[in-house]
Amino acid sequence: MIGFFLRRIVLTIPTFIALTFLTFVAIRLVPGDPVEARVGEHGITPERLALLRHQLGLDQPVWKQFLDYGWGLLHGNFGTSLSTSGSVLTEFMTLFPATVELSLVAMALAILIGIPTGVIAAVKRGSWTDQILMSLSVTGYSMPIFWWGLLLVMLFAERLGWAPVGGRIDLIRFDYDTPTGFMLIDSLLSDEPGAFLDAVRHLVLPAIVLGTIPLAVVARMTRSSMLEVLNEDYVRTARAKGLSPFRVIGIHALRNALIPVTTVIGLMTGSLLAGAVLTETIFSWPGVGHYLIDGISRRDYPALQGGIMLISVVVIFVNLLVDVTYGAINPRIRHGG
Amino acid sequence: MAAEMSSIVSIDEVPATLRAPPGPFAAFWYSFRQNKGAVVGLVIVLIVVGLAVFAPLVAPHSPIEQFRDAVKAPPVWAGGNWRFALGTDGVGRDMLSRLIYGARVSLFIGVAVMTVSFVVGVLLGLLAAYFGSLVDIVITRVMDLIMSVPDLVLAILAVAILGPSLINTIVAVTIVYLPRYVRLVRASAASEMQKDYVVAAKVAGVGPIRLMLSSVLPNCLAPLVIQAALGVSDAILEAAALGFLGLGAQPPTPEWGSMLADSREFIRSDPWIVTLPGLAILITVVAINLMGDGLRDALDPKMRTS
Repeated sequence: MIGFFLRRIVLTIPTFIALTFLTFVAIRLVPGDPVEARVGEHGITPERLALLRHQLGLDQPVWKQFLDYGWGLLHGNFGTSLSTSGSVLTEFMTLFPATVELSLVAMALAILIGIPTGVIAAVKRGSWTDQILMSLSVTGYSMPIFWWGLLLVMLFAERLGWAPVGGRIDLIRFDYDTPTGFMLIDSLLSDEPGAFLDAVRHLVLPAIVLGTIPLAVVARMTRSSMLEVLNEDYVRTARAKGLSPFRVIGIHALRNALIPVTTVIGLMTGSLLAGAVLTETIFSWPGVGHYLIDGISRRDYPALQGGIMLISVVVIFVNLLVDVTYGAINPRIRHGG
Repeated sequence: MAAEMSSIVSIDEVPATLRAPPGPFAAFWYSFRQNKGAVVGLVIVLIVVGLAVFAPLVAPHSPIEQFRDAVKAPPVWAGGNWRFALGTDGVGRDMLSRLIYGARVSLFIGVAVMTVSFVVGVLLGLLAAYFGSLVDIVITRVMDLIMSVPDLVLAILAVAILGPSLINTIVAVTIVYLPRYVRLVRASAASEMQKDYVVAAKVAGVGPIRLMLSSVLPNCLAPLVIQAALGVSDAILEAAALGFLGLGAQPPTPEWGSMLADSREFIRSDPWIVTLPGLAILITVVAINLMGDGLRDALDPKMRTS
């Protein structure tokens, strides 16, 4: 068991090294001199340029720069943002809870609605209900979520005024500390009346938008894996024993049907973060996706480099966690891998 | 010869039960047809392809001509006139024509990404499966690396390096989707390599290229075709997302995603400018996915979803 964990962890090391190399090379390939981008002054003296280059270590040979970069990463130095002069890691960690909160709520929506939808579709296989639910699922799966977000903003924020257009909280009405970074928790801790409701109102539309594709995937997966399980002998036995349909479907069948579904849910982290980039852009949600897009428009390459590195580390880590959890649950994976 | 000919019975005289089993295509078509959604998808895809191919004939106006007398004209159902059936955008370009020409751009991106990643994916996957050991490890690790960066983030990075343009969108999206093909080919080719027929072919002295391309590859094709079909719709979505972020095809190219990006300022006043391009993306992607599901059911009964 421990050997399995260690093997999985060791396997990620080459990926990390390669990732470091990739972001390092990629950012150096980006057109435009980072020093000139940072200075932004016309008629800057060559001496000052050279000084800045020296300060950023850009006058070193490339291999030395790479080693310095890698050494810095090992010490938690993910670079310094050109536009704010702040540490990329610190900025990332300030924004990260916003993305996590949004992703968790989106995922919760997807699971809480997706699984029952899939079960109903499987049980009523071939009926109108099934066909309508599955048509909705294909539509959700195919959704250009940036457009979906704009539509919801247009309808619920602009037309009906039920939800705010963007942001996490009404900054004019509320001002309180955010010790956890999770607005839902912080607003409850703040004791300001109405803060929690306001946070929820801000969260609903982005969560629906980000949750749409996972919801559709979970519903589809649940349906097909449920259909397989419903044909198994043990389900027939449970029925023959006279158990109530609810018990047979909701407990006996669902428990096994959920195994492939949980795999899919675990592996969706990467696409969830990619979706967060678009969702955060539409709703001005101050998360890491927004940070990356800002980095591009400001040509802030260290921020971009560090941000991409950190997001990938999160994805690799979550995938590792998913892997290890399955190893713990399922001995066949443990010994096969 | 003539005598021989006359002894052959016309196909119509043979009882249906005695006829040869249907060819692979007929069998495929029969089972594809069972899936109503797939047929609907196919019809829509054919219509979109038709519009894209014949865009200059079908579109009422040029996609980039600005009608200064009709800026933000509403569509017919909102009090507009038939000159601009779907209205015009913020600088007076005809929405209908832009959407029709946009089909060209989106389908071109989708098909180009699919073709390139299919070919490169097959090559790399077969190389990994054939040589194993170091070649396999290098290829697999690189693909794992690509997959560890969230797809849109990687595409954004690639476009940041290459600069935003239509061709670079294709390159970026291809890089993102390549691992799926490589892994699929590698996995199924590696399991085919264990089979007796491959051993037999090797013993018979079949060379490596012929072995991989004409013996192994055809047996890996079914999941690959399904992946390719669904890959087109993913590529269209991804490219539209890049366009929406301003990193795709550059103006005035009528690309659906970038049309949406331009439209954000009209969200309050002129909703059709926002609604229509997205609807075009959604309809096309749904149709391709429905078709892809049908392909899956027809080609690979094991993966059948219902």
